[in-house]
Amino acid sequence: MIELKNASKKYQQGAKEVHALRDVSLNIKKGEFLSVMGASGSGKSTFLNLIGGLDQPSSGEIFIDGIPLHGISDDELTLIRRRRVGFIFQFFNLLPILTAAENVSLPLLLEGTPYSEIKPKAIKLLEQVGLGERTEHRPEQLSGGEMQRVAISRALISNPAVLLADEPTGNLDSHTSEEIFMLLKSLHEQGQTIVMVTHDSRAAAYGSRIVTLKDGMVSEDIALGGRA
Amino acid sequence: MNLTNLLSRISLKHIRHQKARMIIAMLGIALGVATMVSIDIVNASVLHSFEESINHVTGRAVLQVTDAESGFPESMLERVQKVPGVEFALPVIQTNAMFSDGSKQSFMILGVDSLQDHQIRSYKLSDESADIPDPLLFLAKSDSLLITKKMAEREGIKIDQKVRLQTVEGFKTLTVRGLLDPEGPAKAAGGDIAIMDVYAAQIAFGKEGRIDRIDVSILPGETLDSMKERIGEALPKGYVIDTPRERSRQVELTLMRFRKSMSIIGIMALLVGMYLIYNAVSISVVHRRKETGILRALGCTRGQVLRLFLFETAALSGFASLAGIGLGIFFAHLTVGLVAQSITDLYIKASVSELALSRCGLVIDFCLGIIASLAAAVVPSSAGARITPISAIRVQPWSDSGLLLGKKIKIAAACSLLLSFVLLFAYKNAGPVSLIRSSAVTSLSVLFLIVGISLATPSFLKNFVGLFHRYLSPRLGAGGRLAGLNLQKNLSRNAVAVAAVFFSITMLVSSANMIHSASMSLTEYIDAVTQADILISSGHPMSSGGAPNIPMPEAMMKEIEEIPGVRLAYPFRKSNINYGGKRILLESFDVERSKDYSSFNLFTNGRREDMIRLLPRQDYVVINESLAARYGLRPGSDIDLQTPEGTRRFGVAAVVVAYESDSGVIWMDIHTYRKHWKDTVVDLYELLVEPGASVPAVREAILDRFSKERSLFVMPAREFKDEIQKMLDRSFVMNNAVVIIEMIIAGFGIVITLLASVLERTREIGILRSIGMTRGQVSGIVVLESVLLGACGGILGSAAGILVGWLNLEGFFRIDLGASMRYEVHVPSLLWALLFSIGFSVLAGLYPAWRAAKTNIVEALAYE
Repeated sequence: MIELKNASKKYQQGAKEVHALRDVSLNIKKGEFLSVMGASGSGKSTFLNLIGGLDQPSSGEIFIDGIPLHGISDDELTLIRRRRVGFIFQFFNLLPILTAAENVSLPLLLEGTPYSEIKPKAIKLLEQVGLGERTEHRPEQLSGGEMQRVAISRALISNPAVLLADEPTGNLDSHTSEEIFMLLKSLHEQGQTIVMVTHDSRAAAYGSRIVTLKDGMVSEDIALGGRA
Repeated sequence: MNLTNLLSRISLKHIRHQKARMIIAMLGIALGVATMVSIDIVNASVLHSFEESINHVTGRAVLQVTDAESGFPESMLERVQKVPGVEFALPVIQTNAMFSDGSKQSFMILGVDSLQDHQIRSYKLSDESADIPDPLLFLAKSDSLLITKKMAEREGIKIDQKVRLQTVEGFKTLTVRGLLDPEGPAKAAGGDIAIMDVYAAQIAFGKEGRIDRIDVSILPGETLDSMKERIGEALPKGYVIDTPRERSRQVELTLMRFRKSMSIIGIMALLVGMYLIYNAVSISVVHRRKETGILRALGCTRGQVLRLFLFETAALSGFASLAGIGLGIFFAHLTVGLVAQSITDLYIKASVSELALSRCGLVIDFCLGIIASLAAAVVPSSAGARITPISAIRVQPWSDSGLLLGKKIKIAAACSLLLSFVLLFAYKNAGPVSLIRSSAVTSLSVLFLIVGISLATPSFLKNFVGLFHRYLSPRLGAGGRLAGLNLQKNLSRNAVAVAAVFFSITMLVSSANMIHSASMSLTEYIDAVTQADILISSGHPMSSGGAPNIPMPEAMMKEIEEIPGVRLAYPFRKSNINYGGKRILLESFDVERSKDYSSFNLFTNGRREDMIRLLPRQDYVVINESLAARYGLRPGSDIDLQTPEGTRRFGVAAVVVAYESDSGVIWMDIHTYRKHWKDTVVDLYELLVEPGASVPAVREAILDRFSKERSLFVMPAREFKDEIQKMLDRSFVMNNAVVIIEMIIAGFGIVITLLASVLERTREIGILRSIGMTRGQVSGIVVLESVLLGACGGILGSAAGILVGWLNLEGFFRIDLGASMRYEVHVPSLLWALLFSIGFSVLAGLYPAWRAAKTNIVEALAYE
């Protein structure tokens, strides 16, 4: 489903060259819930950016459903993001000017689908995450947990092949975090492939497999019980 | 479709949420478009009024025969009448006049053949005149006059009332025989027209035996071209046979340079509007960086982001351009009178009764507004499209400093500046007839200079703020330091505001220096040509240039000299003649009488002693530099001029500086002129008073002497020069108005920049307030930032303005108008420009400062 072959990413930081990811090779199977762990600066976010098509590797290859993410044009990469990847960010990244339903609809709005056609699906998704009463609220009128649930709904609206979550509870209290993890777990149980970056081992335990990164390399790869 | 989604879901909401910024940006482009629209409308209205006037006066005539402005022998009429194919050939006297009482507004006199004129022109008398069977028959009585109903109402004149008219012969009492409804010729000159019999008009206006024009209608089946040829063959060389359309075209050509300069002013205003759009879009891109990053992360392509920003700009500028058109029509209403007055002062009498609104012109201006906005939005929108999806997850504050500080921008700035200086150097070192000596080269040099400096503003601002940090901010405390740091944080965005101020101040300083230099040169010129203590004219205080005038008889000179205190009087006459397909100005004066008093020394080629060759019976002329340059003439060359009696050859004695006409000026002795042109009237008498005599007393004596005969403008030389200064000021009024509009637009630029900056720093301001910064201190920082932006733009603009002023003076005056002028930097205007830019910036900073000061601390601290 997702395959990394010797993927590396280098950044130029002033005169210094930083190796954020070094020769990482990894396979993520369909329906897997992969938790990616590691200390700050270990390359977790870079890993997520690369498999989400937010960035391209300096060397190596990355495939999603057999489609290469490396060496393709920006527009091609954009379409892959739009159609095959759903993002959940630590800081939610909702557009403050849009309502919850509009935020959820965004990926399909970008496809050119009229809002009137998307809206029922968006509302349905919001209802599924328990926000049926909050569809016309703006982000500023929602709590952190509610905002993240809107973000999860947005990530799901285009039926993505993979859901990528970058510290999805990093900005939430423990109770709300628990709710979000339960939500992700239930999505995983419905067959959704999920890749989650976290530094919290308790959170990582919700996954079916844990990969630990250290200095840009895979230092540990453990399969847990359950689905996958 | 997906773009429609983005526009309706995102753009409209942004517009709703950022009303103030959007309105200001729209106002900027609306003002730019309004300036352009108003100038276009005024230009078109002036031309349209001339065209209409010519058409109304022409009637059924399809050809018009003209020669010098002073007229030509009426014997030519018979020659034209005999040309096969001519249906009617009718004489016309066309001149200006005014009533000695009433509004003193000058009007057009049309002297026509009262028995035959109805064959080509139709007059409709008003109801009050209905009992008059054939109005033109009444004109056979030499004291008859038909005036328009409009004039009768304005002056309170009734039918059969006697009116006093200022003529060459002095006051002449005429009887108003009828009032004309606004139809046919009565609609010409904005309805300020009176009809007289041609022979009565000849006497009244000093044109005995001469006429101004022959209007010709032709028989069916004849073609215009063949008739022009046949009429041309029947007349001496030099007569001009034109269709009314060609005559309109002549006027168009005469006003071409004036219109061109006006159009450039309009484009400049639009350019400042473009800075504002650039600024607004740049800020929008910076402000929505995270949102754009999210959109990109969710699958929005670069093309979609680019189109989103461009469509937003197009939509906003569409509304702004529409508003600009409305505003432009309003501005045109306000300024058309002033422009018509300027044209009257400089070229020909212009009266505009209604605005000429061309749908096509308005559509073009509307489209130009949108295209200019889109062009201004392309660079920041492209920067927006380059925002990476990673921006969505980057948490640290982002600065736009790199946006315009890149290597490519620096190279472009350096290339543009280099190109500007290369052009300037080439122009300065080119020979007088070189192709490089053209206004296109000076304009290009100005353009590259402005583009180069605009692109270099981020670097300049960076250094400026660096200097501020080093020398000033330590004395201004924390506020000073923060202000400097805030400016540094978003150099590119702040640089755009600086660029807008720079541009306006450049225009302000360059135009002030250009006007100052022109004014100094003109004063110097007037001092050189006017040695008199007193000048006497009739009809208009200015009797040179294009001012409408009612000449005086030659015999008046003796009467003036008999007045106690008058030592000597000498006459001056001006007349437009055809030369090389253009109307050039022929000025004649009494060389013999004035030579002992003249200290004229503005020679381009030749010496003072050469002027003696102008003495009567020598057939020499002096020409001005534009004529010399255009036709390659120099002292010793011959010049063939068309006189009413055919071509006459004159020698060129010298080439001088003379500013009266941009088409060319010829000076000759008045006796030589009278001999060849058979024209004895005088436009201006210059006189010297006896040593010890009081100028005011002599002036009173002159007015007393002639008060019963004619109304005169008797002006001491100082007053005359003041009038010229006023005329010059009037001719730059539109320019000054546009500079003010440009400053307002630049001020909007600062407001937008600071508003965005305040919004972006909401949390920071909250923190500062929470740790004890007062509202006054917060607003002080914002105002200080504004002052720094203004000062930076002011310094750049003042420096560039000096150079642009010289380039404009060269391009506009020396190359286009053929008048070389000495460039002089007007130091007070530099100081004013700096003060103005800072003062204006303080004003522009007040609203953002107020917004910053009222920041709610709790909300600000929660703001992300």
